[in-house]
Amino acid sequence: MSAAIAVEFKNVSKSFGDRKVLQDVSFQIEDGKALCILGRSGTGKSVTLKLMIRLLRPDSGSVSIEAENIAQLPEKELSRVRRKMGFLFQSAALFDSFTVADNLAVPLRHFEKTMSPKEVQHTVEELLSEVGLDQDKDKLPGELSGGMKKRVGLARALILKPSLLLVDEPSSGLDPITAAEIDALLLKVKQERHTTLVIVTHDVREAHKIADTLAVLDQGCLVGYGTLEELKSSENEVVRQLISES
Amino acid sequence: MTSTPTDFFSFVGGLSRFGVKSLASAFTPPYEWQFFLVHLEDIGWRSLPLIAAAGLALGVVTALHTRGTLVSFGAEALIPSLQSASFFNELGPLVTGLLISGRVGAGIGAELSNMRGTEQIDAIEAMSADSFKSLVVTRVLACIIVLPMLTVFMDLTGLLGGFFSERMASHISLQLYIHRAFSTVSWANFVAPTLKTCVFGFIIGAVSCFYGYTINEGSSGVRRAATSSVVLSSLLVIVSDVFLVKLIYFFFPGKAL
Repeated sequence: MSAAIAVEFKNVSKSFGDRKVLQDVSFQIEDGKALCILGRSGTGKSVTLKLMIRLLRPDSGSVSIEAENIAQLPEKELSRVRRKMGFLFQSAALFDSFTVADNLAVPLRHFEKTMSPKEVQHTVEELLSEVGLDQDKDKLPGELSGGMKKRVGLARALILKPSLLLVDEPSSGLDPITAAEIDALLLKVKQERHTTLVIVTHDVREAHKIADTLAVLDQGCLVGYGTLEELKSSENEVVRQLISES
Repeated sequence: MTSTPTDFFSFVGGLSRFGVKSLASAFTPPYEWQFFLVHLEDIGWRSLPLIAAAGLALGVVTALHTRGTLVSFGAEALIPSLQSASFFNELGPLVTGLLISGRVGAGIGAELSNMRGTEQIDAIEAMSADSFKSLVVTRVLACIIVLPMLTVFMDLTGLLGGFFSERMASHISLQLYIHRAFSTVSWANFVAPTLKTCVFGFIIGAVSCFYGYTINEGSSGVRRAATSSVVLSSLLVIVSDVFLVKLIYFFFPGKAL
């Protein structure tokens, strides 16, 4: 029996004005697997992630999460689908005026209205301890280093125990040791929680560590899709160039 | 701001739609009371020192200016009523509008634009929360409600400044000053000009939220959002004041001096 499909892109295209960002992109991700999307800057990697959670809508084609096309879903239904997803933004996107603990509590208060304040606090503290920041819960984002912000962002993305985690450039702007720590946390999430991961990255070594499958985008087109070994023998020069970095 | 007539009309259309949407959304649930109260405190309570200082200074200055002229006609007894007329009718509402457009407009424009640039607004939407409601509607409503309150405060501190100035010059008692100041003021002189600041509040809230919410250009965008918010909201406050004064005279013809 084939594994369930967590995410499916079917002939997805997206433009901003005259600029075509994605052109006829199709791929699937199996449940519990990790996909890394590689490519040069401006090739549509982050747009692909934002289409998955419908922060953007495709101009054509369909984006399905667990077999539900989210491109046309009404807001209420979309909220139910988004409940299953976590998003770690490139800049971590922590709310400046909230403490670390409050940042984590926001999704719980929004989606889990029946949870008591004590339960919220307990869940927040548990997850902060998992990412090694239990001593920093009362700090404001401005007081945190880049790596700590990423870890808080990751904890916030995981707080609702999502089945699909979207991660935009997890190691950008971080030193190699902190980047390795973030990668280790992502691997732990994948192995222990069996969460499906979609990671956008420039770093082929990072992709090699975490991903089951790699997708390579170039000028809005999917030019490579498969395992690292499969992509090594690709006929596309951009794919070979990117992969050879590892 | 805009480079062609088409850009200009598209900007005006976008801003108008944004303003109407912010008002219309205020009447549909969910109501974001928590955010609304935070903005009430930030826009209202934290503006009080600025309004008090400006009101006192303006009160002293206007009293000094009018005294110079009225003394030569032997009419210095009219100073308190002139103070109240000028503050209740025009100085209080307009100066409050301009001060708040400077303090709050720039703050809202910069804060929202920074939130847009650092993906905080995307993070709210990724949770299926309505970022427009929690960030825009609550701020616009807070501005609408806070402006008349701050205007009353500006009026009172302005009168107090005038009293200090008169006390130094003529040793007038507080009771006599208050009696003279309020003897010529009717409710129409006070209520309509104070309530017109709700429109100023709407303009300041809608314009600064529009720039902050829609500009996503990094740090230069934050600067542009802050500057444009102050410039356009101040200009619109002054221009709308012309129409609002005409409107008040239309509905309260007896109020015209």
